[in-house]
Amino acid sequence: MSLPKIEELWELKKFSPNPNQKEAILHSEGPLFLSAGPGSGKTRVLLWRTLNLIVFHNVKPEEIFLSTFTEKAAHQLKEGLRSLLGLVSNYTNQSYDLSKMALGTVHSICNQIITDRRFTDGHRVPPPVLMDELKQYFYLYRRNFWEDLIKSGGYEKEEDANKEINDYLSNYPSSSRHNAVQNIISIFNRFSEECLVPASIKTNDKVLKKILKMYQYYLTGLNGKIRKVDFAILQQCAFDTIQSSVTASNVYKHVIIDEYQDTNHIQEKLFFSLAKGNKNITIVGDDDQALYRFRGATVENLVEFENRCKQFLGIKPQKIDLSHNYRSRKKIVSVYSSFMDKTNWQRKRPEKGYYRILKNLVAINNDTKPSVIVSSYSKSPEVYAEIAQLVKEMKESGKIEDYNQIAFLFPTLKSRSRVDGLREALGRLDIRVYAPRAGRFLEIEEAMAIWGLLSKIFGRPKYTEYFSQGLRDYSNWISECRRFADTIIANDSQLKSFIQDKKEELSLVTEDFEILAGVLKRKKWNLTDSFKMEMLRDLLKPSSLSNKAKKNLQSEFFNKAVELRETQGKPFKIINILNRATSVDWSILDLFYQLNAFTHFKEMYSMAETGEDEGPICNLGLITQYLARYMEEVSAVITGTFLSDDKFVNSFFGSFTYALYRLGESEYEDADDPFPKGRVPFLTIHQAKGLEFPVVVLGSIFKKDRGPRKNEIIIRDLLKKEGEPLDRMNEFDNMRMFYVALSRAKNLLVLPHYKGGSAAIEPFKELFEENKFTLIEDFDLTTLPEAILDEEDLGKSYSYTGDYLNYNKCPRNYMIFNKYGFVPSRSQTMFFGSLVHKTIEDLHHLLIQERKKIAS
Amino acid sequence: MTDQEIEKQIREYFEENYELLRLEGGHALTEAGKQDAFYQVLYYWKKLKDIANKVTETEVKLSLPNQETTKGRKFSIEGVVDIVREENETWMYDIKTHDPDYVNTHKELYEKQLNIYAHIWHKLRGNPLDYTAIIATTLPAGLRNAIQTNNERQKEFELNKWKPVIEIPFVEKHIENTINDFKKVVDNIEDKKFAPPPLKVLQEKMEGSNTRFATRVCRNCDSRFSCTSYQEYVQSLGSKSFAAFKKYFNDFGEDTDQEQWIEANLENAPPPETVEPIT
Repeated sequence: MSLPKIEELWELKKFSPNPNQKEAILHSEGPLFLSAGPGSGKTRVLLWRTLNLIVFHNVKPEEIFLSTFTEKAAHQLKEGLRSLLGLVSNYTNQSYDLSKMALGTVHSICNQIITDRRFTDGHRVPPPVLMDELKQYFYLYRRNFWEDLIKSGGYEKEEDANKEINDYLSNYPSSSRHNAVQNIISIFNRFSEECLVPASIKTNDKVLKKILKMYQYYLTGLNGKIRKVDFAILQQCAFDTIQSSVTASNVYKHVIIDEYQDTNHIQEKLFFSLAKGNKNITIVGDDDQALYRFRGATVENLVEFENRCKQFLGIKPQKIDLSHNYRSRKKIVSVYSSFMDKTNWQRKRPEKGYYRILKNLVAINNDTKPSVIVSSYSKSPEVYAEIAQLVKEMKESGKIEDYNQIAFLFPTLKSRSRVDGLREALGRLDIRVYAPRAGRFLEIEEAMAIWGLLSKIFGRPKYTEYFSQGLRDYSNWISECRRFADTIIANDSQLKSFIQDKKEELSLVTEDFEILAGVLKRKKWNLTDSFKMEMLRDLLKPSSLSNKAKKNLQSEFFNKAVELRETQGKPFKIINILNRATSVDWSILDLFYQLNAFTHFKEMYSMAETGEDEGPICNLGLITQYLARYMEEVSAVITGTFLSDDKFVNSFFGSFTYALYRLGESEYEDADDPFPKGRVPFLTIHQAKGLEFPVVVLGSIFKKDRGPRKNEIIIRDLLKKEGEPLDRMNEFDNMRMFYVALSRAKNLLVLPHYKGGSAAIEPFKELFEENKFTLIEDFDLTTLPEAILDEEDLGKSYSYTGDYLNYNKCPRNYMIFNKYGFVPSRSQTMFFGSLVHKTIEDLHHLLIQERKKIAS
Repeated sequence: MTDQEIEKQIREYFEENYELLRLEGGHALTEAGKQDAFYQVLYYWKKLKDIANKVTETEVKLSLPNQETTKGRKFSIEGVVDIVREENETWMYDIKTHDPDYVNTHKELYEKQLNIYAHIWHKLRGNPLDYTAIIATTLPAGLRNAIQTNNERQKEFELNKWKPVIEIPFVEKHIENTINDFKKVVDNIEDKKFAPPPLKVLQEKMEGSNTRFATRVCRNCDSRFSCTSYQEYVQSLGSKSFAAFKKYFNDFGEDTDQEQWIEANLENAPPPETVEPIT
């Protein structure tokens, strides 16, 4: 069979694009600006456009750069594309290989670019080690590093430094290192995203001068033998790769960027440099839906795209508007359109236009019945009850199949009064809520059980004085964990005895350490002295030393290791020997897996093995990741040395866990979607980005205008950048955020009309005044269309070895380590296999490269 | 590059990759494990220079799209291989860190896998393969001995004897069976069926070997303590006493494994400085 026309394929997939969609799909050359409103079918357009390029314009998948905002979105695009291309293959018998296509988040593609041999003239470039946010935090937080860092800025005392930094960056002179580190990370990341070169910056601001010096010190420190990068610097690193490559601007024939409103400065530079050769850059986005300024995104990238494109590539892009809304009922579209007009977006000089791209959104849906409804104008508790009752009625009348079709959206889940109020109101009607990351991870039951039991084994840090409310809260949290552990232990005599055993083991090695430390003292040896074999006799002398320690010191294996080190000229230090003699046989992760054998946890596994409930096991998996992180950051083995003087307790509970506790969880993570059945999802508006729901309830329609962030002021001043006026930035951002919330609704949008202070921002008040919204109590439920579950099964990829063989070997093992991402504590096979494969791959590349050299 | 230069290069790549993986995963390999891994790469090169020198595409990702399970779920099958292309012939290799003897005794397992890969290749690139094989990189005991004792003649002899390339014939009928089986597994995974194999399986010797499933698979599984089947297995070995139960908790493998684990991680043991809780 021969290749069908694209129109035939559309017909097959029952897709009839509107003229603008069609134009966008068939566009194949030159820069393109797709201004895509909410629900305008942009993902579909992106899919078909990519298919058109691959199938009808012979662009190879690896010549396409396609970035999205989340890995999940990338995954969906990839599977969608694979499925459409499969359709084509049925006609042509030709397959398309997507494995080398650059499809992912900007960060993940940057990671690929750095090692992509197309940019490096075929040479191997080892990838840098990527520090995620938590790693970056611990990297800076470590006392030694932090002290050196502030010294580099010219500070002498940590307290002074912390106070000054915190006061400068967040207007509050706290002496907390935790706060200072968070503030510094935020400004450092912003510097990196703006490609700021600290040495070239001139400023008279004394504190800023110090911070810039510290930033320089930070940058230098990352360039060790193995290069480290944080997320922001990863992008710089990719940009450097592109800059130093002669072929870079022609590697990708098409550069396509989705969610362009949330890109930042370094990303813009990256995109234009990649598109320089072919000039085929396509950007897709909606400035009204920009949400991530606080992470360095600049909506100006999109608003100014036409000019920037002209400036960087010499051509003006074609602009196509996707303004037909396929998602929402008519009234919903008109309400959120008019919402945006409640703020004046005009620039200071009106001839310069607007800070916003003006749009004319058209609803495809013709149903003009009420679809935006409002609560009575009442005090909060009454509004909560009214809304909860509506939710119940919608379910009972069958207008929704499941509670997870109603989303409650909030500007933040951290300000609890509205969240808790609505949750309780729903609870009174026996409706359960799913609120991912509404609280701390450490406060969930599974975490409290594990940390409680660990604390029963190891003890807890002792605080003589509480310097902050945060510390007091944390200390209370430990107490609560311990109480919870007590109730678990009380029901399980085996667990009780297990814990007793572990405690005895720990006190044994601690005693051994003290005995050996005594020998050192008598002999006047230091822990850091080199160890010599003849010292062994003295160390073994004390009769009170445990048999286990003696055995450890006399083992053949150990003696060989000592000998080997001596012949290599790098003998062990005495501390190594003491650690060897007094180490317990298990790590904290081993302990975790052992504790899981007891009834309390074992039931969680049983529920997961039958697919009954996967919540608890997901949480246990996350716990292993945190415990592994501790072992990575601090120590894998537990020794008498480490246990003495409460060092371990202070390090694990007093420092590591406390940091986790204070960091909390980010509210801006993606929520899992689809949401668990039977519960009403409570989400931040950020989490709802890109999603849609049959019914949306806004839990809060108020957000304080806090003025611009300090980072914005600093950057504006340092780089003399133009952009949205600082005094209006926050107002604009709040408008955009609520716009995203309003436009998530398909069939019904519910607004609360609270009485009292902090009830609504001005534009909402105006909306209420201008519109005669139907009240909840007057709303005729029968007019509400039934919610249809329209999940399109895009399919998943399964690896032959990773999924199929592993599942066949043991389904349970597969579930734990592959599906829920538990970190193994002992297994070395994965590491071993990766190491061998990676090195053989490098060898092959080297040989291919050598042959090419000879051939030319 | 001379062979010597290439060997030097292999060492550099290896050390770099080791550091990267260690930093990423936070795990260390034991000294012996690391040495083993290195020898697998080095002796792959020494033994199979001819093949290595002809590889035209390495770590090729294969994907078979548009599959559908009996329950109507869409999925695709993926795998990774190395390809050698010469004038009119195309060979496919799958490099595995497995023992050649094991591969030889379990040939049909590998047949299933490589036949699927060959099938995908054919669909993807249009041209059939002329030859498919497993390269099993685990060194035979004799060779390892010779390396350890540094006995050149013995090394030479053992290297010659070693047969790491195991040809896998193409059997058309496997493909449909394997894909059907794959479909079942996908449905099972999506239906969340994750019960461990029953006690009987744990007690059985693994096909073509003398070790039981419980020893070969379970003892290498970190989550065995909470596994119903494994607990039953331990109890079936004899004493049901509480003491025996406790003992099984402290079973971290052979003594030497345990020593190696501690040894590998001691380097990263914490320094002796005092640690204050943060206030």
